[in-house]
Amino acid sequence: MPSFFKKKSQKGKKTAEKQKKPAVSSPLSEVLEENLAVITSKTGNSTDIIIRRLKHSPRFKTESAIVYLKGLTDTQTVQEILIESLMKSDPVEQEPSSMQEMVEGYLPLGIMESLKDWETLFQALMSGHTIIFVDGFSEAMSTSTEGGEQRSIEEPSTQRAIRGSREGFTESIETNISMVRRIIQNPTLWTETMTIGRVTKTKVTIMYIKGIARDDIIEELRNRLKKIDIDSVLESGYIEQYIEDQSLTVFPTLYHSERPDVVAGNLLEGRFALFVNGSPFVLLGPVVFIQFFQSIEDYTERFYISTALRLLRVLIFFISLIGPATYIAATTFHQEMIPTQLLVAIAAQRESVPFPSFVEAIIMEVTFEILREAGIRMPKAIGSAISIVGALVIGQAAVQAGVVSAAMVIIVAITAIASFATPSFGIAISTRLLRFLFMISAATFGFYGMILGFIILVVHLCGLRSFGVPYMSPLAPFVPADINDTVIRGPLWADRKRPSFMSGQNQLRQGEETGRPEPDKSRQMVTKNEGDAQ
Amino acid sequence: MKRHVAVFFIMVLSLSFLAGCWSKKELNDLAIVSAVALDLDKQGRFIGTFQFVNPGNVTGGFQGGGGGQGNAVSVYSAKGDNMDEISRRMSTKVSRNLYYAHANLLVISEELAKKKGILPILDAFDRDPTFRNTATVVISHQAKAADLVKTLTAIDKIPANKMIKMLRFSERVYGGTMNVMIMDVVRDLTDDGKQPVISGLNLKGSAETGKTLQNIMQTTPESAPQIGGLALFKDGKLTGWLNGSKARGAVWTLNKIKKTEININKKGKKAAIVLEVIRQNTKISATTIDGTAHLMVKVETEGNIGETKVPINLKDPMVIKRLEYGFEGAIEKEIKSAITVAQKKKTDIFGFGDAVHRSQPETWKRISKNWDEDYFAKANVKIKVDVFVRRTGLRSNSFLSDVK
Repeated sequence: MPSFFKKKSQKGKKTAEKQKKPAVSSPLSEVLEENLAVITSKTGNSTDIIIRRLKHSPRFKTESAIVYLKGLTDTQTVQEILIESLMKSDPVEQEPSSMQEMVEGYLPLGIMESLKDWETLFQALMSGHTIIFVDGFSEAMSTSTEGGEQRSIEEPSTQRAIRGSREGFTESIETNISMVRRIIQNPTLWTETMTIGRVTKTKVTIMYIKGIARDDIIEELRNRLKKIDIDSVLESGYIEQYIEDQSLTVFPTLYHSERPDVVAGNLLEGRFALFVNGSPFVLLGPVVFIQFFQSIEDYTERFYISTALRLLRVLIFFISLIGPATYIAATTFHQEMIPTQLLVAIAAQRESVPFPSFVEAIIMEVTFEILREAGIRMPKAIGSAISIVGALVIGQAAVQAGVVSAAMVIIVAITAIASFATPSFGIAISTRLLRFLFMISAATFGFYGMILGFIILVVHLCGLRSFGVPYMSPLAPFVPADINDTVIRGPLWADRKRPSFMSGQNQLRQGEETGRPEPDKSRQMVTKNEGDAQ
Repeated sequence: MKRHVAVFFIMVLSLSFLAGCWSKKELNDLAIVSAVALDLDKQGRFIGTFQFVNPGNVTGGFQGGGGGQGNAVSVYSAKGDNMDEISRRMSTKVSRNLYYAHANLLVISEELAKKKGILPILDAFDRDPTFRNTATVVISHQAKAADLVKTLTAIDKIPANKMIKMLRFSERVYGGTMNVMIMDVVRDLTDDGKQPVISGLNLKGSAETGKTLQNIMQTTPESAPQIGGLALFKDGKLTGWLNGSKARGAVWTLNKIKKTEININKKGKKAAIVLEVIRQNTKISATTIDGTAHLMVKVETEGNIGETKVPINLKDPMVIKRLEYGFEGAIEKEIKSAITVAQKKKTDIFGFGDAVHRSQPETWKRISKNWDEDYFAKANVKIKVDVFVRRTGLRSNSFLSDVK
């Protein structure tokens, strides 16, 4: 599929190649003191780098030393296993030819690696390995002793579910990967790890299910990741902004989740997951627009309820998008559309308001945005002050003072609640921005302007793509087979196939035999057990 | 190339700002017209009287909104030779843009309807984009149209609303009136086989007290608009009135009765047995044979026994049957009286002409010009009523049968 992906401009590529010169890494010295001196000088004599000299280790004929980072290593492992076994071991009978031979099979530790140049050595040291130097060898051994303090697994704070797993991702990439592995216990769950970030050297792991995910999409992801050459990756959002298809849009073209079950479900639909060390948010792609209206509970509840909730969320999306705009358009352009009684009621409130409806709406919306921003950033202890100020000052006093009308407060409140009810934060913040654009178009042209805005929005949405997958699929282009999981959520047994744009060769979700659950015709309703009654 | 695209977009965007807020009207800049009344002055010019809503005074008790102290409406008048002139002259008295989209009532004075007819005024309302052609039309009966819209009303604070709701409610449960919209009148006027009929409103009490707040501070408002009969039109001019049971007879014939009551005398007592009509269907047909028109009205009615003043055995089907015959006679009498009046006034408000048009299209072409005078006025009328008593309410026999 040659035209599947948009060809990127060639300009960026050349500069990227120029910068990516292979760093010439100097080899290690044979003299222990020289090596240790390099470490102290390169790390600026940092206090958390521990150099422990083992002068009289019986294991090594010559002097040796271990180097590790305090805090990143598991102190217990280093002290009780590593140092102890080095000091208390029997002397060697014959001269070992290499360090590997000398240490392997001797230290009761997992991963062991021989290091010969400084670059890899520092990388190992900084990620929590313990490095063993021995005088007379121009190499060092690294043993995996990663540990230190970490946040334990907690309930996810962003995507809550009433019925569903209570696990949420943590900041540790290994823990996160293991949590998904625990759900999908299959060897076809493949991972690839790379390091991104010149300074931060952050571990980034691609995860996908071989056979279910499309190979060309995974290849494209790899290419996009390889092109990233930045200083730091502090959160998965950094990666997201470098690999998205279209940056000139308010809509997210990658999904992020804090829930292992959501990640597993998406992997099973043929998507890839991108884990970034230090971030509890795992990126998922390719995404479609309708995915932002899904919630994990949709699949655990029966489909009547799920479908009703999906439709409610679509309604919520529209309310939070065009709620204030509709009010502005109706009260300033299309008064004939409002029932007489309501019009009179709104007009009565507007009598004392000095501003046009549009200005009134902007005042209230901006005030609300300020309140919301304050609510997020404020320390929890003074959080209640915000609600008092918000409810009293904005809600009541503003109306009583005649600055805004009560109807406007209702509209802003409904819009605010609607934007909180959107299941995905990514889509909620994009509607927040678009809401203001719609308000402007409604204030200039009324409903006509809103319809124009809507047409532009729909055209824009249909032009978006995520890793080549049309953003509005399966609605546009229309894929009848995939419609089962869009604005409606059909019964699970009718959901035979994976989304056709994303899945590779393995398209079927369920066997031919599986279908609508139906008891055998011969089975009668169970009659009352007379024996129990006695 | 990119620059060209950018410049193009900037130009397109600027266009939207050039338009400004085209046709934007803030609610506080609108004078919401709730009713329009039309009278005739001595020189034969039109007097337009507009009822404007005072929003702050309608929604009483709202904080910061003024608090329902004054009148719910204000009324202003202007003179002119046509509707547009009246509307523009109104600007010398009113501070805000006139907004007609919520004017749901058009009151035409009896005098105007008689002398000038409704033909010269309706076009303005039919043509104006904001004025709804679903607005109700009424004729002021024995009162000035202006006085009707000036009268303050209780319960429904906006008098126009009160009058419209009254017409609709009465049409639904009593049947002696009809809620006629501008578009109905226009349709009847352009139809050569049917003449328009419009509900009338009286003003009870004096016009002067109706204007003051004292009027609605009493439990029984001294002045209040009140439904009064149906106005018959011929060639766009008012020719006469149908009142009381005659008006209801006309509504029966027009198949507009939804619910009503019919009573008959029994055992020497007046209005002793009452039938609550719950549904009915009336069909009219007409033919001309040898220059004489034969009109046929067929009514099928269903109802419940609503009330009995005399002991009567309602368990007996034969008794019910006899009651049904009685009700049929009562309905027939009402219809007959309505048609007789219309025949006297030589105006076919029932659409018998249309029925001839349907049954004898060729003949109709010939006779349509003088249908009202030569045919309808002299026509034979046949009325067939079929009443069916469906239920007798909660009781079968009244307790009156057991009174010792």
